[in-house]
Amino acid sequence: MDVCLLRKGRCTVKAKKTVSLLLTAAVAVGVLAGCQDTAQTDANGGQTASGGTEAAGNGDGEIKEFTAFFAVPGSEINDDNEIMLMLGELTGATCKETWLTGQTAQEAVGTLIAGGEYPDFIDGGDGMAQLYEAGALIPLDDYIDQYPNIKEFLTEEEWDKLRQDDGHIYWIQQFGNIYGEERATTHNDEAFWIQTRVLEWAGYPEIYTMDQFFDLIESYNEANPTMEGGMENIPYTILCDDWRYFCLENAPQFLDGYPNDGSVIVDPEELKIIDYNTTPTAKRYFQKLNEEYHKGIVDPESFTQTYDEYIAKLSTGRVLGMIDQWWNFAYTVNDALKQQGLDEQGCNYVPLPITIEEGMKNQWHNSGGVLNVASGLAITTSCEDVEGALAFVDALLGQEAHDLRFWGVEGVDYEVDENGEYYRTEDMRVQSSDTAYKASHSCTYSYFPQYSGTSRDGINAMKPEYQAKEFYNSLSEDVQECFAAYGAETYVDMLGTSEAPGPWYPMYSYSNNMTTSTEGGLAWAKMGEVKHEYLPKVVMSDDFEAAWEEYMKVYDSCDPQAFLDEMQAELDRRVEEAAKYN
Amino acid sequence: MGKIKKKRHKTSVWDKLFTICNTLFMIAFVIITLYPVINTLAIAFNDGTDALRGGIYLFPRKLSIKNFTTVLQKDNLITGAYVTVARTLIGTMLSLGANALLAYIVSRKRFLFKRQLSLFWVVTMYVNGGMIPVFLLYKNLGLTNSFWVYVVPGMISAFNMLVIRTYMNGIPDSLEESAQLDGGGYMTIFVKIISPLCKPVYATVALFVAVGQWNSWFDAMLYNRMSSQYTTLQYELMKLLSSVTNQGNSVEAMKNAAGAVTPTSVRAAATILTMLPIICLYPFLQRYFVTGLTIGGVKE
Amino acid sequence: MGVVCLFFRIASSEKERRMEVGKASMARKKKEKIHEPKVKITWKEIKRQKVLLIWAAVIVAYGIVFYYLPLAGWVMAFQNYRPKDGLIHSQFVGLAKFQQLFSDATFLRVIRNTLAMGVINLAATFIMAIVFAILLNEIKSKGGKKVVQTISYLPHFLSWIIVTGILHDALSSNGIVNELLVRAGIFDQPLNFFAHPKFFWPIVAFANVWKETGWNAIIYLAAITAIDPSLYEAAGIDGAGRFARIRYVTLPGIKPTIIILLLMNVGNVLNAGFEIQYLLGNGLVQSVSQTIDIYVLKWGISQNDFSIGTAAGIFKSLVSIILIVIANMIAKRSGEEQLF
Repeated sequence: MDVCLLRKGRCTVKAKKTVSLLLTAAVAVGVLAGCQDTAQTDANGGQTASGGTEAAGNGDGEIKEFTAFFAVPGSEINDDNEIMLMLGELTGATCKETWLTGQTAQEAVGTLIAGGEYPDFIDGGDGMAQLYEAGALIPLDDYIDQYPNIKEFLTEEEWDKLRQDDGHIYWIQQFGNIYGEERATTHNDEAFWIQTRVLEWAGYPEIYTMDQFFDLIESYNEANPTMEGGMENIPYTILCDDWRYFCLENAPQFLDGYPNDGSVIVDPEELKIIDYNTTPTAKRYFQKLNEEYHKGIVDPESFTQTYDEYIAKLSTGRVLGMIDQWWNFAYTVNDALKQQGLDEQGCNYVPLPITIEEGMKNQWHNSGGVLNVASGLAITTSCEDVEGALAFVDALLGQEAHDLRFWGVEGVDYEVDENGEYYRTEDMRVQSSDTAYKASHSCTYSYFPQYSGTSRDGINAMKPEYQAKEFYNSLSEDVQECFAAYGAETYVDMLGTSEAPGPWYPMYSYSNNMTTSTEGGLAWAKMGEVKHEYLPKVVMSDDFEAAWEEYMKVYDSCDPQAFLDEMQAELDRRVEEAAKYN
Repeated sequence: MGKIKKKRHKTSVWDKLFTICNTLFMIAFVIITLYPVINTLAIAFNDGTDALRGGIYLFPRKLSIKNFTTVLQKDNLITGAYVTVARTLIGTMLSLGANALLAYIVSRKRFLFKRQLSLFWVVTMYVNGGMIPVFLLYKNLGLTNSFWVYVVPGMISAFNMLVIRTYMNGIPDSLEESAQLDGGGYMTIFVKIISPLCKPVYATVALFVAVGQWNSWFDAMLYNRMSSQYTTLQYELMKLLSSVTNQGNSVEAMKNAAGAVTPTSVRAAATILTMLPIICLYPFLQRYFVTGLTIGGVKE
Repeated sequence: MGVVCLFFRIASSEKERRMEVGKASMARKKKEKIHEPKVKITWKEIKRQKVLLIWAAVIVAYGIVFYYLPLAGWVMAFQNYRPKDGLIHSQFVGLAKFQQLFSDATFLRVIRNTLAMGVINLAATFIMAIVFAILLNEIKSKGGKKVVQTISYLPHFLSWIIVTGILHDALSSNGIVNELLVRAGIFDQPLNFFAHPKFFWPIVAFANVWKETGWNAIIYLAAITAIDPSLYEAAGIDGAGRFARIRYVTLPGIKPTIIILLLMNVGNVLNAGFEIQYLLGNGLVQSVSQTIDIYVLKWGISQNDFSIGTAAGIFKSLVSIILIVIANMIAKRSGEEQLF
């Protein structure tokens, strides 16, 4: 019986609780209703954002507010970001940027198009073509001439390359644009990388071929199987995770001395497309990897490791060498190595000018910018103030604004010496890479048009990382020593610079946008699948010849010729276009 | 029950053995399931760059709270938190009410369209029109750029309804019948008689819905991308995560994304921060799931 | 049925309660055997159920708007859908998208993978959740029970990327699993689990069990609370051991819940997932790791082909509905709880 009483007692307590819960809910609803009201106004504010505009009409004092969506991952900055507000004063407008989150570019763009509402600015990334097809973009050709900075940004030829098949220009490619003298410091692209300790141990030898490269790694590893701390070295590892498998697959184009067209080789003499997957060099390269795999030089986990694991491995300093794109590892790994003092042990990576045979010209690094015509910054039909938006872009390209974007605030983010040269203290450098600081202070508008190369003052670089002194001072000692030994001052000097490839370059701007709706695109997609599966098998196989043969058979069944034909057609088109300017 | 009697003399030995095995099993289970959580904690409290190297298991190697401060400094986090709390409270109540009502209707023995109505909802579990049609629908209903997109569309879920229905089916009809004799209408019976008996299952469903609401961010991104006043906690965190996660496939994208903190450690910190409130909520709901309480209560 | 006693406990004394319980459980047993009463649609009945019908209508209207209306999007599967043309103006291509799907050897392989992983995951997670709930119920210490349960459901809140990261770590060549196996002399040298297709499905199943067992068990724990404690007492008096009590009291008590969840999950075998396979897979195992959802992303959305995804979705829906209809029929035949 007491049980029952107890229960009943509890019930009333519970009843009270329920009541209080309901009250909370009522309050919450009330709050929300309040929210709703403000929401309404805010929604209008949102409209202003896409209008920007009405404010613009009202007078000069108002700062316009634009919105932008970039279908790439990126960092959002705070609403009250300091430099954003300063740029607002300077340019008369600010822009709220949003980035891709948890979707593919195609999905994000697909929903935007379905909804028919866009932000003012957009870069659709891989979904750019869809936006154009959907008629979501404003043709810019008639406007460009009115904005000197925008006009100056690209050459006539480059502007024409951006024309779509209806003859109009819809987007401005933001990157790879060099102002004035080129400042090459970091080799941002792909290379065979090796730790400085290996080179130092061997007395900084000249390494030109793949065989020499692996011989060096082998002999170093034999002499020094462990690191200073006793951890075993991993002589060579290959990243193969998802789309990052380029670390495994595209080396043959470089080994044959061609630049990074990405999906094919272009023979510059004959203007013919060559498939780098089936060249004798490709076979030799994979055979070499196969041998090294069986010798235990190639990391047995190469083909199953994830990107995070790969970065973790590099960060421990255990990996002697690998092939990769600089941006794919350096930003994170270099920090980690430095933090652990591993730079003092010579664990930093430098690139080597490797080709299949000695004496070949290598094209790991090319001078000149890369104009990737496949995407860029566009203005949408939802933007009610196209002129204001373009004026904003134009203003952002002004030197003062550009310096604010990439260098920051004088005295806070950089100092100026007596020659007018900008420099940063160590503290400033550290601060500049802090996530929270970047969110509250820095505003690069990183997907708006921008320059590399030399500033309009003729002294400084457009961006800090290209400032020679700034660059050299931020290098670790082991890298500085290594550079000195090879008579180099920059990463690029380690490889040498080749001239910019022909006007067709880079072909990947075409193949990246291929879809399975064409035969060539279908073949391209299938080839990717096959290579993903078979290249690791080929490298791991006990019988290389048989494995290679099987791979080639499956590869051929994808109909690569269809892909190559479409690439050839595009190459011909590009060459023809370019001929108009000679 | 006759069969059981035969084993009477053996039970105590078996019982002991069972208890030992069961305890061992539970200990093993706890270790295995606790490990990822502890590991996440350790990484969350470890310096980000140092965590890159891997090899952190149970304890942080280089203690740091930077990951948490990074997460907590995220702009709009407070707005997100308000919205998330609101959607969790309102969404859970609406959803629980609607699902319970529906379950009540389809568990009435005499209800004319019992099978049809159940089938109607069961089907919804396995069909969906796809992202774009749903987006268009919400847009035309005026749900985009509003708070209601969080609580209205998912209000009834066949899964939760069926869980409640199964429970209600176990309640004998005699209760309903006697109440009807006393002149109680269907709604009175639902509120006064059936619902109080369904507390454990209501708690279960409430937990499911609340957790779902608490963790969801995709709807915020899809429907309220441009209305930052309706951002949610998880969406803000996802934005932070995807910006530090090195997904960029070009120099620009990587430079734009790369920060001093690293994805693994920030992700860990964000995970811990979002788990906390749910863990705190759990004990209040848990008493409905742990039979020990009821049994204990009776014995006292 | 335990709820019954909860109710009666308030109203009646211990002895009376027992009697009532007996009746209730007997009534239930009868109910299981007898077919449910057929109620004919008459005006009288409609009037009687007016309030239920009105609410049902409201709920159905809601369901039509939010669940059935978007199915208009299925038309995309028969079109060459392009966002610019929208649903109305896109070009119709008939069954071409389905033909494209089913003529692709990759898609057939992907269906196999999805089905296999779906079934393995279903079996593993389903059984583990029940076993865990029952065993947890057998823990005598209240505190212990609470602690174990709280811990068990925590992994549910970790994202797949964290869980797969830990799993990758544990199974790597210098991870704990290889270390143990080599030390125990089972392997001569570390094995790279992720390089062998044969390990992929079991690893995925394990990961699912690991992450979701505690969470999935919550429903069963709630169902167990509904079991009348006096049934356990009665069984105890009858001299039933732990196993007997589980078999004759606990299991029958949660059987309706088990059946309903099983039925629902049967319809879900084609939803074997995306993230976990995507995160754990690699080129070497892609022939067994790719699921329908991955296929759709790779060959549909990433290729700007939204129609393929819809076609695959329709296929999945059809299979699911056929499966649950069959399963429901079986349940009906055996006199068990049904979905509809």
